[in-house]
Amino acid sequence: MNLEYSGTETIPAGKDAVWAFITDPANIASCMPEVLESTVVDPRTFDAVVQVGVGPVRGKFKFHVVLDPQPGGDRMNMKISGGGFGSVVDLNAGADIKSDAPNSTTLDWTGQASMRGPVATVGGRVIDAQAKRVISTTFANVKAKLSPAAATT
Amino acid sequence: MSTTIQPVNGKHAMGVSMKRKEDPRFIRGGGKYLDDFTLPGMVWLSLVHSPYPHAKIVKIDKTPALAVPGVLAVLTGEDLAAHNLAWIPTFHGYDKQMVLAVGKVLYQYQEVAGVIATSREAAQDGAEMVDVEYEPLDPVVSPYDSREDKIILRDDRENKTNHIYHWEVGKQDETNAALAASEVTIKERIVFQRCHPAPLEPCGILADMNPSTGRLTLYLTSQAPHAHRTVVSLVTGIPEDKIRVISPDLGGGFGNKVPVYPGYVVAAAASVVIGVPVKWVETRTENLTCTGFARDYHMDVEIGATKEGRVTALKVSTVADHGAFDAAADPTKYPAGLFGIVTGSYDFPAAFTQLDAYFTNKAPGGVAYRCSFRVTEASFAIERGMELLARKLNMDPSEFRLKNFVKKEQFPYPSPLGFVYDSGDYHLTLRKALDIVGYDELRKEQAEKRKRGELMGIGISTFTEAVGAGPSKHFDIMGIKMFDSAEIRVHPTGSAILRAGTKSQGQGHETTWAQIAAEELGLDPQNIMVEEGDTDTAPYGLGTYASRSTPVAGGAIALAARKIREKARKIAAHLLEAPLDDVEWENYKFQVRGQPENALTMQQIAFAAYTNPAPDSEPGLEATFYYDPPNLTFPYGAYIAVVDVDRETGFVKVRRFLAIDDCGTVINPMIVEGQIHGGLTEGFAIAFMQEIKYDEQGNNLNTNFTDYLVPTSLESPHWETSSTCTPSPHHPIGAKGVGESPNVGSPAAFVNAVMDALNPLGITHIDMPLTREKIWQACRQATTT
Repeated sequence: MNLEYSGTETIPAGKDAVWAFITDPANIASCMPEVLESTVVDPRTFDAVVQVGVGPVRGKFKFHVVLDPQPGGDRMNMKISGGGFGSVVDLNAGADIKSDAPNSTTLDWTGQASMRGPVATVGGRVIDAQAKRVISTTFANVKAKLSPAAATT
Repeated sequence: MSTTIQPVNGKHAMGVSMKRKEDPRFIRGGGKYLDDFTLPGMVWLSLVHSPYPHAKIVKIDKTPALAVPGVLAVLTGEDLAAHNLAWIPTFHGYDKQMVLAVGKVLYQYQEVAGVIATSREAAQDGAEMVDVEYEPLDPVVSPYDSREDKIILRDDRENKTNHIYHWEVGKQDETNAALAASEVTIKERIVFQRCHPAPLEPCGILADMNPSTGRLTLYLTSQAPHAHRTVVSLVTGIPEDKIRVISPDLGGGFGNKVPVYPGYVVAAAASVVIGVPVKWVETRTENLTCTGFARDYHMDVEIGATKEGRVTALKVSTVADHGAFDAAADPTKYPAGLFGIVTGSYDFPAAFTQLDAYFTNKAPGGVAYRCSFRVTEASFAIERGMELLARKLNMDPSEFRLKNFVKKEQFPYPSPLGFVYDSGDYHLTLRKALDIVGYDELRKEQAEKRKRGELMGIGISTFTEAVGAGPSKHFDIMGIKMFDSAEIRVHPTGSAILRAGTKSQGQGHETTWAQIAAEELGLDPQNIMVEEGDTDTAPYGLGTYASRSTPVAGGAIALAARKIREKARKIAAHLLEAPLDDVEWENYKFQVRGQPENALTMQQIAFAAYTNPAPDSEPGLEATFYYDPPNLTFPYGAYIAVVDVDRETGFVKVRRFLAIDDCGTVINPMIVEGQIHGGLTEGFAIAFMQEIKYDEQGNNLNTNFTDYLVPTSLESPHWETSSTCTPSPHHPIGAKGVGESPNVGSPAAFVNAVMDALNPLGITHIDMPLTREKIWQACRQATTT
């Protein structure tokens, strides 16, 4: 099963701050929901154990995440691969990063997910709802950590 | 001492609806199934499956699994290769299949590794921890893509093509010419979707190698215990006398428990190596994703006719999706099974059929799911085709069928595709069905409803099966001829034990086999114990599938009993002090001709066989018979479905369903009716809800009973049944077999009914399953265009 997502998110922070944040694997790991443990492998890679619950597919999935910041600081790519309980999930995501005001940065992002095994049988609508929850939670966490209020605390 | 039951309406045991002898055991929870067996020191096997439909195996790391408490060993394909067990021959021996994947995986959920542990849970936990690194490859999901050969799936084979075989029968040129000259023709691609037998009890094995005796006992969910024993011996080299297969009570089979599966091989190999019992019982998902599927035939059907509605020619060209290995369960000389029955009940002057099979990245299989080797696909093709042609001719489908049936006086009927039908009266059976269902009134009602815009449909299916494989001159599996056998021993007090090479999975053999023997011997069927499934005691037979038990083993039972009766006649002559020629079998007793007052019962003869045997004969009263049938049998039926379709929701209400079956002589009408109810329910499920579907990436989307629906009594329609009887002239008791007729005949009746309902919208064909969504979409599209 292949799924595609895209969207635009505005972060209330400057482009440099956003870039510095999202190119650090520890930061990305800290913003993903349901992460039970994470291990930074190198400055561009981390492994995570995530609690997954999609329909009847429930348990711990292991993911390997590779960040691929593009030269120039305008685009960030990310590849997530992993799975568990006989399921495999591969996600390729990318975001174009633009600054539209001194303390406002826009991410135009796309993601293509490929699912195999039991998770692929759950059904598009169930996965869709779950994927949207993960995406929105991740961006909400990024925003929260980069907001002026967070910066002052 | 047992007593002889009195004849009921002139019948002794044959044709009597006696209650099933096995049912008290099942109803009281006394059945013993594979998973009920536990042996001292037993360990468990759990299998690791591939999430990818097509991928190279880069690395298998056993270490994390071996660290799980209770895990004893992890086996891979390479481990099995060391014992020459990485591959095993497929059903008919034309191909081989991996036991555990070596090098690459060829379908999603393919078995990749096996974990042996001290408990079921530890084995499952260990299987989760086996770390397999894959390199995904592009999958080939459609057989039509496969035939392009852009990606070659089986690089282990000499021929670098996905094409497995071409098969054909009939006269191609003559048929093409007849079609070209026909005044009216139809051509339609009719797909019989991939579905699954889905027995409620999945497959399993308890393999017990006893190091002290050197004997391997396999408790196995097997429809063919002797065949499995022979295959295990051939594959492993273990002498056959050192192998015992015990097939206990089975919770359904429907063809699914005929093949040899990787779990069997891994468990048996593990038990041989480590010398303790190893049990493997598959999960529901494993059953639906790995073990033998059925159908997946894509059939291009062409039929020609005159303007007056007389058929002229039939041509069917099929693309068959066999999955990753050619593991279709068909007799060796019949790669497409008995698909040649595709001319059905009709007298075609010319016919030709051809089939090409292809590999895809899907599970292997092609089992005879409640059907005699591809007969269901053939029946669906011809019955849908005849319906389409009737519509094009603007003829009533019943009238069209009656016009083209093989006539009663044409039997034995040589079909243009090579069969010789044994007996039948198709006109009588259909006319009886039309009469019972009130066909003319239903057509009037339909016309009224159509005026009001309501969608009502009437669907007919008048199928003919070819069952009872089979005659040894034609039928074998890996060289083993498809005879069957029976052994009967009458005890001194007049009860008996009957052993057969078949294996009941719910068919009621403990009752019907006893009835056949009782009828022949004048014994009480309640006092004839039937035993099947233990290769140490049962005579050799090819098992139960493809409606072969009654046509083949049923004949063996009758003929074994007649051997006993002939010996008993000699004993009777001795006891009656009469010449042998003067002793006759009359009213289930032996008497001197014309002197019933001194008649002897079989119980009296049996006692004498052990206490006062005839001077010139051996003591005892027993016989064994191996029956090689001279021909297949050809049961048939006329089914009529009546449906109402709600165009706003796509919901189909099956208002009535009438099944008239002609299976020749009926042994137990109640059991036949039960068989028909079960088969109709499965046919209903196939027509409306079941499909093993794969997405474009090769994901199996129907891996459990929430996605692969099994109808309950709430969904199932009410079944009306009746019968006609044209006994098979060559079968010892005239029986033809019935277990599969309802599954063979009913899908076309359902689909024809729904298409008849949708006729006013111009809809001619929708492939099964006819889900509400598909029907709603078709109605919506028809309304808007």
